[in-house]
Amino acid sequence: MLVRNGVALLLAMVLLSGCATRSLFQPYPSQARAWTADMAAEGPAPLLRKGVDSRDGVLYLQELGRVRQLSGAIEDSESAFRRAFGHYDETDAAARLRASSLVSNTGALLVNDNARPYVAPDYERIFAHAYQALNYWRENDVTATAVELRAAANEQRVAANRRDDEIAAAQEAARDEGVQPADFDSHFAGLDAAAGEVKASFQNAWTFYLSALFWEAHGEYNDALVDYKKALEIHPDSAMLQEDVARLSRAQDGRVERDKGLVAVVYEQGLVPARRELSLPIPTPHGLFAVAFPTYSAADKPRPAPLTVAVDDTTARTEVLTDVGGLAARHLREQLPGMLVRQTLRATTKYNLQKKANDDFGPVGAILTQIFNVVSEQADLRSWLSLPAYAQATRLMLPPGEHRLQLSTPGGGASLTVPVVEQGVTVIHVVATPGRLITRVLPVQEGPL
Amino acid sequence: MVRVFSLLALAMALVLSGCASRVDYGDAQARETVTADFGSTDLQMIATKMVDDMMVFPPIVEMTRDRRPVLFVDRIKNKTSEHIDTESVTDTIQSKLINSGKFRFVDMSVVDRVREQLEYQQDSGMVDQASAAQMGRQIGAEFMLYGNLSSIVKRDDSTKDVYYKFTLKLLNIQSGIIEWSGEKEIRKTRKRSLFGF
Repeated sequence: MLVRNGVALLLAMVLLSGCATRSLFQPYPSQARAWTADMAAEGPAPLLRKGVDSRDGVLYLQELGRVRQLSGAIEDSESAFRRAFGHYDETDAAARLRASSLVSNTGALLVNDNARPYVAPDYERIFAHAYQALNYWRENDVTATAVELRAAANEQRVAANRRDDEIAAAQEAARDEGVQPADFDSHFAGLDAAAGEVKASFQNAWTFYLSALFWEAHGEYNDALVDYKKALEIHPDSAMLQEDVARLSRAQDGRVERDKGLVAVVYEQGLVPARRELSLPIPTPHGLFAVAFPTYSAADKPRPAPLTVAVDDTTARTEVLTDVGGLAARHLREQLPGMLVRQTLRATTKYNLQKKANDDFGPVGAILTQIFNVVSEQADLRSWLSLPAYAQATRLMLPPGEHRLQLSTPGGGASLTVPVVEQGVTVIHVVATPGRLITRVLPVQEGPL
Repeated sequence: MVRVFSLLALAMALVLSGCASRVDYGDAQARETVTADFGSTDLQMIATKMVDDMMVFPPIVEMTRDRRPVLFVDRIKNKTSEHIDTESVTDTIQSKLINSGKFRFVDMSVVDRVREQLEYQQDSGMVDQASAAQMGRQIGAEFMLYGNLSSIVKRDDSTKDVYYKFTLKLLNIQSGIIEWSGEKEIRKTRKRSLFGF
């Protein structure tokens, strides 16, 4: 008995000491406030670096990559994302039942779900590859940008394949309602608008748009058309995307618009909402029993606000292409069944612990275990929190030369001069973080790859 | 009790020996299957296949019978979703071709530095003009080597399948004719094991 208690104590110590400073007892969103408050600042980086070797390393690496990108330390950001990609590969290659995850699952059973190592969901992987592409783009490393955009596309495909059944069901429903793909004219052939709404919940139209711009700039009209169409599948009513598809269809036939260049603004608005804890106290004969679930609150979600670009006498407003909060909520929903199973097991374990303490040590033991149970019962609130709430984009066709652009958002504006090259693409990456508007003009892309 | 201690000692020994990191030399040509990503074995397979194909192609055998044509390597476009140093693939191919004694190469990647050296020899006044290399005496390449490396990656929760296709072409610069073209396909599949550490 003594030995068993000792082993249990030892186990608890190992589990708790390994991550006491991390999300086990301190909710992740409150940790994240340290770097989401001012993302372009230098301050948060050392804090994040402390976390990169923990079991949630991939999460901290993603945050670090993002924060460093916004503060302009591109090489730092690149190496952080590269390490995060290493974690993705490891996760993909790992055995499905692992002895080591058994240990952390035991920890999760005793304490809470935060004891399980963080695994990046596919929407975060897609963003990480897109951000890495933006890093290389800024360095004008065309080959590496292309590689990352392809990697992002691979992740999007994996995300779609995983939900094949759902897409098929949506297509079926659309057929039953009599929506015919033939309703579209030839530009839109092969477009699967029926599955768009479903795909919008796990695919990222903004990343498709970003890569479409890149391919178009380099004359890879086929790749560009495919990506514009995938974005249009997700937002079938977007006039901007319809125009893009039509333009690319013409370009593929050799009818390229001369004397014009494309200026695109990719705009990231706000911060993705964090998970909230929903605590349900369940009364049992041996005292109150707390069960905590993560959830998203609609009140946390900001309203989408467009950015307006004005040049000379033309203006354009960005459209929301990706609702990141929606992607996150969808991922949480998919996690719930597994969470419920673990929660039930944990409730049983904790209840037994409490009962045993009550039997062996009387009310004092019961109160102590109850305190442990209440304190340790924390929902898994971990998710990549430096992502934007909405990813938006717009574009303008302008004659070649230098142009002065006026950007305005509800949180402030900026004016910048950008070069426009015939048949080239100039992308301006704009990020509105709390209290700051970060603008970066990426090197103009033109000519064959 | 003794048994418990000996078991414990054995366990400790296992744990500790597992921790000590070890450095060892391996065979550079050995098959490497750490991950399904592009690796050394793929590079070697591609280079060997390309050179072997090219050397036995009858028109090339004919062409190199009594002269050593001059080639230059353009580049291999990386069209995969991995960061691959395609220059290292072409370097290996180039080395093998040079060592076969049938081809000669000019290197376009050092043109600037060669020009710098030539200018130094010609204009600096430091070099004996009798031994100085002359401008405008380089030999023009007759053929260009270029190609593509593309990949198709498919992945689900248990399997990753990677297909690589490497294409190399030899183009006659004057006539524009592709004299030879070689292709190497590689397919790798990684299955996740059910149990592991």
